[in-house]
Amino acid sequence: MRIIARNIVRFIVVILLQVLLFDNIMLNGYLIPYFYLLFIILMPFETPGWLLLIAGFLLGFSIDLFEHTPGMHTAATVFMAFIRPYLLKLFGPRDGYEPDTFPRIFYYGFTWFLKYAVIMVFAHHLILFYLEVFSLNEFFSTFLRIILSTLLSVSVIVLSQYFVFRK
Amino acid sequence: MQKLLNLIKKYSYLLLFLILETVAVILLANGSYFQQSRIHNFNRNLSGFIYSRVGNAREYLSLKKVNEALVLENRTLRNRLEVFSRMIDTASVGKKTREDYTYFYVPARVVHSSVFKQYNFLTLNRGKKHGVFKDMGVVSDQGLVGIVLESSKNYSTVIPVINRNFRLSAKIKSNNYAGIIVWEGDSPVLASLQEIPYHVSLHKGDTIVTSGFSAIFPEGIPVGTIESFTLEKGNFYDITIRLFTTFQNLFHVNVIRNYYREEQKQLERNITG
Repeated sequence: MRIIARNIVRFIVVILLQVLLFDNIMLNGYLIPYFYLLFIILMPFETPGWLLLIAGFLLGFSIDLFEHTPGMHTAATVFMAFIRPYLLKLFGPRDGYEPDTFPRIFYYGFTWFLKYAVIMVFAHHLILFYLEVFSLNEFFSTFLRIILSTLLSVSVIVLSQYFVFRK
Repeated sequence: MQKLLNLIKKYSYLLLFLILETVAVILLANGSYFQQSRIHNFNRNLSGFIYSRVGNAREYLSLKKVNEALVLENRTLRNRLEVFSRMIDTASVGKKTREDYTYFYVPARVVHSSVFKQYNFLTLNRGKKHGVFKDMGVVSDQGLVGIVLESSKNYSTVIPVINRNFRLSAKIKSNNYAGIIVWEGDSPVLASLQEIPYHVSLHKGDTIVTSGFSAIFPEGIPVGTIESFTLEKGNFYDITIRLFTTFQNLFHVNVIRNYYREEQKQLERNITG
């Protein structure tokens, strides 16, 4: 319960930031940084699985409502939330994560966070972009967009670590 | 039974994931239905409200450009007025009533737009209150913009040309051959014109205008110019057109209301039905 209460404000802030600020940034007139993924990435280690999935669902659904897209962000974000526990287990230290720490640069270092964030964001973009074009016809041009968008989203997410969530 | 419960418990995480993902896919599959649902209608009002605040700020930044465009448009309109005012002396001009106008323009502002997706949308700050309803045409001072998808009390959403679901009849201005405009999702400045038969002579730079067949747009709204064309294997050209409207900096548009659309539709329905 404490996890929910602490994250509810952040949930709203992340959505507003995405809709009001980041949707208006189009780098090179082509790419939009999807900053809202930060919410799932930063959830505490001890978050139970079901809560992670539900949070991903609600987050994706809210973004879908604002972007007038049916279900695409929902599907992508739920998938991203789904792989998170496996990723954390894969990248985790041998004796598990220490109590009272969070998945942030401050605790586990730049390289660890970058690896973790890149794979999370890439998984999300992979689902989102292919659902959007809904065909494999333009496989490579879409794949290029996925890679460039991942780079952009990850940079924004990593930068935010130095500005807002320092600790 | 106990075994089954244990199994469910063991795979509960995977199960929940599959359930939520299924819901998302159902939403995706029923996309058009979702667009019209009540939750979306509520959201249209909410996001319209928020986006109009953002739009205000963005509009302020481009005031100068907009002003210049308006001055230009004013000048051409005034010139046209000059021609008509001379005709007044010779023609009989009675009092005009609503019956005399087929089309009526409702000025609106774009409060939100997406450009770089496959299914782009615009949100306008005009809705049912202002006489904007489903299936009305939207134009800018540059040319064709799109068609109203849904409207709530104060806002409406528009399917622009640059949406994969967009379809509209259009013709080549020089020889009146009509085809269909579609968008293939590559670039927000290009669209394509299909179903022009192979014997029509085409030239690069020819102007494409609306045909007026659909009763959504009046005839002759500029759409774009021919960028390139190739002859496909069949009997039709594959024509790429460069759109006149630049969707990246679109702020002021006009919604076109056709007073006689229902009448025309009714009449046409009688033929097919």
